[in-house]
Amino acid sequence: MPYDPGDDVVVIHQPREGAASGTFRAFAATLKGLKMTFSRAVEGTTTIGYPEEKTPVYPRFRGRHKLHRFEDTGLEKCVGCSLCAAACPADCIRVVAAENTPENRVSAGERYAAVYEINLSRCIFCGYCEIACPFDAITLGHDYEMADYNRSDLIFTKEMLLAEPLERTPLRTPDE
Amino acid sequence: MPRPVVKEITFTLDGREITAPEGMILVDAAGKYGDTEIPVFCYEPKLGQPVGACRMCLVEIEGIPKLQTGCSTPIRDGMVVHTQTQRVHDAQRAVVEFLLINHPLDCPVCDKGGECPLQDITYGWGPGTSRFIEPKRHFKKPLELSPLIAIDRERCILCYRCVRYSQEVAEDYQLVLQQRGAASYVSTFDGHPYVAPFSGNIIELCPVGALTSRAYRFRARPWDIEGAGTVCAGCTAQCNVELTVRDERVLRVLSRDHSEVDDGWLCDKGRFSYQAVHAEERITQPLVREGAELHPASWEKAIEAAAAALKKAGDRAAALAGGTTTNEEAFLLSGLLRDKLGSSHLATGVGGEQPLDVVRALADPKLQATVPDLEFAHTVLLVDCDPIDEAPVWDLRIRKGVRRHGTKLVVASARPTALDQNAAATLRFAPGGAEGFLVALDAALSGDAGNLGGAASAAGTNATAIQEFADALRAGGEEVVIVYGDRALRGSAGRALLNIASRLNLANVANAGLLELPSTPNGRGLREVGFAAGHGPGFSTISAPGHGAEAIASGLASGDLHTVWLHHVDPLRNYPNRPAWEKALGTAQTVIAVESQLTDTVREYADVVFPAEAYPEKEGTITHPDGRVQRLRQAIGHPRAASDVPGSGVRALWQVISDVARELGHSAGTAIAGAVVSKRVFEAVPFYNGMTLDGIGGRGLRWQEHATFEVEQSDPFVLAVPASLPAKGESELRLGTFRPLWAHKDVDLSPALQFIRAKQVVELSKADADARGIGEGDRVEIGNGTRIPGTARIRAAIPAGSVFVAEGIAEHNANVLTHGIVEVHRVGPGSTDATSIPIQSTPAVEGRAEMPPSAGLPIPPREVT
Ligand code: SF4
Ligand code: FES
Repeated sequence: MPYDPGDDVVVIHQPREGAASGTFRAFAATLKGLKMTFSRAVEGTTTIGYPEEKTPVYPRFRGRHKLHRFEDTGLEKCVGCSLCAAACPADCIRVVAAENTPENRVSAGERYAAVYEINLSRCIFCGYCEIACPFDAITLGHDYEMADYNRSDLIFTKEMLLAEPLERTPLRTPDE
Repeated sequence: MPRPVVKEITFTLDGREITAPEGMILVDAAGKYGDTEIPVFCYEPKLGQPVGACRMCLVEIEGIPKLQTGCSTPIRDGMVVHTQTQRVHDAQRAVVEFLLINHPLDCPVCDKGGECPLQDITYGWGPGTSRFIEPKRHFKKPLELSPLIAIDRERCILCYRCVRYSQEVAEDYQLVLQQRGAASYVSTFDGHPYVAPFSGNIIELCPVGALTSRAYRFRARPWDIEGAGTVCAGCTAQCNVELTVRDERVLRVLSRDHSEVDDGWLCDKGRFSYQAVHAEERITQPLVREGAELHPASWEKAIEAAAAALKKAGDRAAALAGGTTTNEEAFLLSGLLRDKLGSSHLATGVGGEQPLDVVRALADPKLQATVPDLEFAHTVLLVDCDPIDEAPVWDLRIRKGVRRHGTKLVVASARPTALDQNAAATLRFAPGGAEGFLVALDAALSGDAGNLGGAASAAGTNATAIQEFADALRAGGEEVVIVYGDRALRGSAGRALLNIASRLNLANVANAGLLELPSTPNGRGLREVGFAAGHGPGFSTISAPGHGAEAIASGLASGDLHTVWLHHVDPLRNYPNRPAWEKALGTAQTVIAVESQLTDTVREYADVVFPAEAYPEKEGTITHPDGRVQRLRQAIGHPRAASDVPGSGVRALWQVISDVARELGHSAGTAIAGAVVSKRVFEAVPFYNGMTLDGIGGRGLRWQEHATFEVEQSDPFVLAVPASLPAKGESELRLGTFRPLWAHKDVDLSPALQFIRAKQVVELSKADADARGIGEGDRVEIGNGTRIPGTARIRAAIPAGSVFVAEGIAEHNANVLTHGIVEVHRVGPGSTDATSIPIQSTPAVEGRAEMPPSAGLPIPPREVT
């Protein structure tokens, strides 16, 4: 049976051929577009010259992770509970916990993370680890410049995550 | 004993009619037949009677005004139960809120987090919020309950599970609940460490994180790990286990409850000695002796060397197998020796070889008792064995039978057993008198007064005692299970045992029979696949029987035999008469050893060493003493060699034997996969026919239930009185040996078990100790010519004239003593290691030491490539 589109047919009305409409098509529409172009041209450039210049991010932007210490005692906030690893949908966090001793006190709880690795080449920056963390030990920072030449260099260890990262990313001002 | 007859009844659960066996506990019936989960904390049927301590399981039953605990209410016909009413929900929420009042909620640091019933039930049935803002109860945390177990008393919800386990299952009576009300806490009564053979089970029982394993402390979270089911090959009991694996390392051993095998318990050896798998000391590549030294070698070289030695030896080759040898390995190795080299010098046990007709008759399916029979029989007879040392979970099984089913236990042994207190009758004979005892018991049962007296005195006891014992054995009822160690089977002991079985008519009584306790974990399997001097696979007749273990030793020493293959066997440690073995291995032209550590045997005598697999690395089958063929499944990869060259590390042993066979041109003995060998085993052993690895699965398959094995029935044998025991002088004692539970090389290598490693103890009677001026814990020397030091332990149940020392241990092993008659001297005052289970100094509870940190980090940082 031949296909019968029935009521679905939409009739497109072409502009009529002829002098007035032809002139309109040739000039008026073009001028309309050029008006926009020239009005923007006086505003100056908005292209960002990355990497010399960087896009500012919003305060809640989710970039590279940071691990935190208590400011007063210097102990790590992370107790190695591994909840971030459980929450991670990309399965890119690996935690091996160990026990604090009086001689070697690393965190405030009974246990601490002896190994804490995030594979940033797998991370999807969803921020679930931050939500899962019962001690606010991990947060997602603003750094988005993580390109590297080796996949293995994208596995960030605890030391790298604890180190105060170079704050390379400008923050957007509230009214921006 | 007749197992309870079940009658089906119907009750109403949330408006549905459910049919279930009468008398079943409501919680179980709802879960199993009604598909309704009633939350529980304290209820655990394995612990015996319910106690109703936690009130989590409250349900509404029509006709009873108050809510009832489902864990202690048996179902009745016509009962109407509601589990989903508002009243029940309110009660459940209230109970959870109440339990959480004092629970610290430190889940992020608690080891139970993620696998915690309290977490699960709080999510499922709890209120979601707490109204409690007052300070919580505080205890010092965590404390060391024992070197293996940490206790955090704040987390305890006082469910009594651990206490009930200690009191009613393990019967070590050590754990108690101290104080009252909110101040209650679990402890031993004076604060001493809870050290017992089965202490680790409370870790699995505790429904919260109050009791945690120190060896597993902070090692992993449930989402970091994989569970791998296999069978523990640490002893004959072959408990079903689940290994917790993280990053190719075994981190924990859990029970994989199998009521026909282990009843859900594990001993601490099985639970903690997994650490040996990852010990530094493990041999991970082949070694070959060049000159005086063992050097690491390539597999090709080691296989060539082994094959060349075997070829040269021909029918003068011998092999010993034990330990975790699987049926497959034993089948290939015995095939290699028998079919290719023409040698049947294959030995497994330390006991003597019995004649083939006896071996066959003992394997008669009609005479075979099973592990559950230990629990339900009228009477259980132990003949010269102590399950706690050789198959520990059987000890719990027998205790359960005695406690809950009124099973009568009668014990006849030289050394007092751990079960003596539960026994209705005990009989002590002299060490080495098992044969005499069995002959005498047979005479007593048959009324043959002539043999009775002579045999009784050959056992070092008297006719009256035997007669009384025989009466006690008969008095319980017709279902009798006889548990015997294979060491007892010397001379005519096997025939005597068969006589006893026929006099008690065990072949025709269901749930009765014989249960052997082999001295090596897979003793039964090795025998059934034909790794024996006297028969082939399935007890088939062979043309040229070979030598047993003792004859192999003397053959090697005299030069009649040239080469010996030691498969998971360390004769210098585990076989009697070490001097004879030293001579044998020293004279042997080539010693090929499959071993995981540098033992004395390896270091001094082995010429070719193949690295042994640990049981979590093995793939294959083993056979339980009651005929259940079980599967070992590989849980982790084989370790790599130090050099890290791919393929240079540990290899599967079936493959090693197959490679040696190929080198020798024995193509029938080669295989391309482990499963191929299993298939060949199932084809070669008639009563394994039709088995498949899939069919065996995770729960095993008892061949007696699927196959037959016809044994020629004979009349009772006529037995002669065995030779009497060697004479001993006034000041001398008769030497008996025992193998302590902890005498295992894996225990020696496990850091967590170091505190309990078996040391030499000299157990003697009060009278003998007094006569020598020996006090408990004194240092003594024992021997006759050769002497070994040990610590004296005085046991009232030992008859005067006998002394017992430990064998199978690393230092001062009893097997250097070759005389059965010894002298004991005191050499010095006692030291602190008074018992084989060292009880550490016992500070008062409050001052008890805070827990020292557990051993170092188990998992190295992952390599990045
Ligand atoms: S320690 Fe655990 S098992 Fe023992 S009473 Fe407390 S909660 Fe129950
Ligand atoms: S489970 Fe019923 S009272 Fe605890």
